[in-house]
Amino acid sequence: MSSSNPYMPSMVKIIDVTEETKDTKTIKLTFVDDEVRNKFSFKPGQFNMLTVLGVGEAPLSISSDPGEKEYFSHTIRRVGNVTGAITKLCVGDTFGARGPYGNGWPMDKIQDKNILIIAGGIGLAPLRPVIYSIKNERENYGKMEILYGARTPGDCLYRREYDEWKKIPHTRLLLTVDSVPEGMEWEHDVGVVTLLFDKISLNPTETAVLICGPEIMMKFSVQKLLEMGFKDKDIYLSMERRMNCGISKCGLCQIGPKFVCQDGPVFSYFELCNLTEKIF
Amino acid sequence: MLQKENEISVLIENSRLLSPNGMNEFIRKLSAYYEVYAPIKGEKLVVFEKVENPQDIAWDYETTQISPKKFLHKPFEILFSFEDGGKIINENKDVVEKSQILLGLHPCDVRAIEILDKVFTKRYEDPYYMKRRKNSIIIALTCSDAHEACYCTSFGTGPRIDSGFDLLITTLGGNYLVEIGSARGREILSRYADALSTDSSILMEYHRLKNAKLEIIENKISSKMDTEDIAELLEQNINHPLWENLKEECLACGSCTIVCPTCYCFTIIDKVDLTLKSGERQRVWDSCMLLEFAEVALGVNFRSERAARIKQRVYHKLYSFEHQYYIRGCVGCGRCIRFCLKKIDPRKIIAELRGEPIEQ
Repeated sequence: MSSSNPYMPSMVKIIDVTEETKDTKTIKLTFVDDEVRNKFSFKPGQFNMLTVLGVGEAPLSISSDPGEKEYFSHTIRRVGNVTGAITKLCVGDTFGARGPYGNGWPMDKIQDKNILIIAGGIGLAPLRPVIYSIKNERENYGKMEILYGARTPGDCLYRREYDEWKKIPHTRLLLTVDSVPEGMEWEHDVGVVTLLFDKISLNPTETAVLICGPEIMMKFSVQKLLEMGFKDKDIYLSMERRMNCGISKCGLCQIGPKFVCQDGPVFSYFELCNLTEKIF
Repeated sequence: MLQKENEISVLIENSRLLSPNGMNEFIRKLSAYYEVYAPIKGEKLVVFEKVENPQDIAWDYETTQISPKKFLHKPFEILFSFEDGGKIINENKDVVEKSQILLGLHPCDVRAIEILDKVFTKRYEDPYYMKRRKNSIIIALTCSDAHEACYCTSFGTGPRIDSGFDLLITTLGGNYLVEIGSARGREILSRYADALSTDSSILMEYHRLKNAKLEIIENKISSKMDTEDIAELLEQNINHPLWENLKEECLACGSCTIVCPTCYCFTIIDKVDLTLKSGERQRVWDSCMLLEFAEVALGVNFRSERAARIKQRVYHKLYSFEHQYYIRGCVGCGRCIRFCLKKIDPRKIIAELRGEPIEQ
């Protein structure tokens, strides 16, 4: 990364591609330049600006274990020009990246608390580094419960890793899907993610909640959590907004006086509900 | 008394008087070494443009339509270009190497640059803006009149100004009182200008004339925005019916953001040539008033409501800037009022939120 010019992407090389769902891939990357690679580290919940020259740039959460020093990953759903271009690339191909940006999840602040992770769809991507961070430093955190909802069983991300997650001490993984196509086996719940809330066993006053998903899902999750006695200061949301720079210059990502790219993307619900711009 | 005497001697020491010929000669000499931009009389409007002939400068201009921010934060610029194979070339292609002089900026526009400085330096330095900024000499100009839409006095951003410039010119009785605001200003003045007078009593008389001129302008700016406790006012009026009413007025055309001297939002786009492989990454001014401003993938739009976009602009200027940069984002230049097709007026918005009667 050119330190003098924060807009300049550095070259990254694809070292592995995993098909997650029909429209989503997890791409393992490494910086081509040794210096950039050695300097790069990130916190769970941070994002990079990914560049395909000639197509554009887009903010994408980093989805890998922050303890991995050899590579980092992005889980990319094909929804726009940049994500469309990147998901067409193969192992060995290169494109651009700059970052990491943003505050990330408050991993220090939530130490010693129980951790309730609530994710919807692609929203699990920025939470995967949290799961691995907690696994790596298991003694620093309380019990962990992961609630994940997707559209169909085939839309669930990281299915190959669920057994490993469930083996993390004091960890529960609860899954639900909106619908199950005929003939498909599914031994978990069916319905929106909030239907899983009755199964939460964590004490609301000793638990930090980390949520990422579509705004509508976050809205109803927060509503129900507050009813259950979780505190607005303990509920953290990762917000999505349009971003062009990642460095609080382009002005696009503002919610009230907050720059989602630098002040966020993670905010407590307490912060968000007191802003001059209503979120949901 | 001693302190007062000291202040006067500093004032005199930092002042020069130039004749009309002396001023033209000064600008001519500057043009040889710098790109000099100033308000130039066009066919219909006065526009900040490169000075070809010092006599074209409109010393008594009303605030221009587009502010001099365009010389620092360009409406359009190339961030870098790229070649087939992904090689990035020429990072700073579009950044001027030659120093530029921005001449004839009214106090509000000088203050607006100070606000942009904060935006483009906080947390990360924007290399494109900063390179131009460091290469820019600011020669301010005391206003010669006030427009009905001027409300700088509400923000303390004019018509008096005592910093933020390298030189400050005031036209008085056909001559030019020039005040020095920086070492760089002193240097270009002593190098390229022949002063008409450095006599202290003459200079003091010109300072008295300047003061009288400023008082007249200040008195003329009768329309104000009441900025007291404006943060609380805005916090309490997020759901005021005014916002919904304004959406019927506002055309969401974005004119206000283009003419605003402190609006800086931009979009980054890649433009490719016919090979579809080489091209340029560019940035262009964007506008929070436009529908697509807050739209993300899959067509999700966080400000699809026009009322939300109007609110964003007003709150950003009068509320968010203070949280973000400890400064208000409005300098009261009045451009957004003058160039709004529907004459939407922030002074009236604030008055209405305060429950004050609105003059039609």
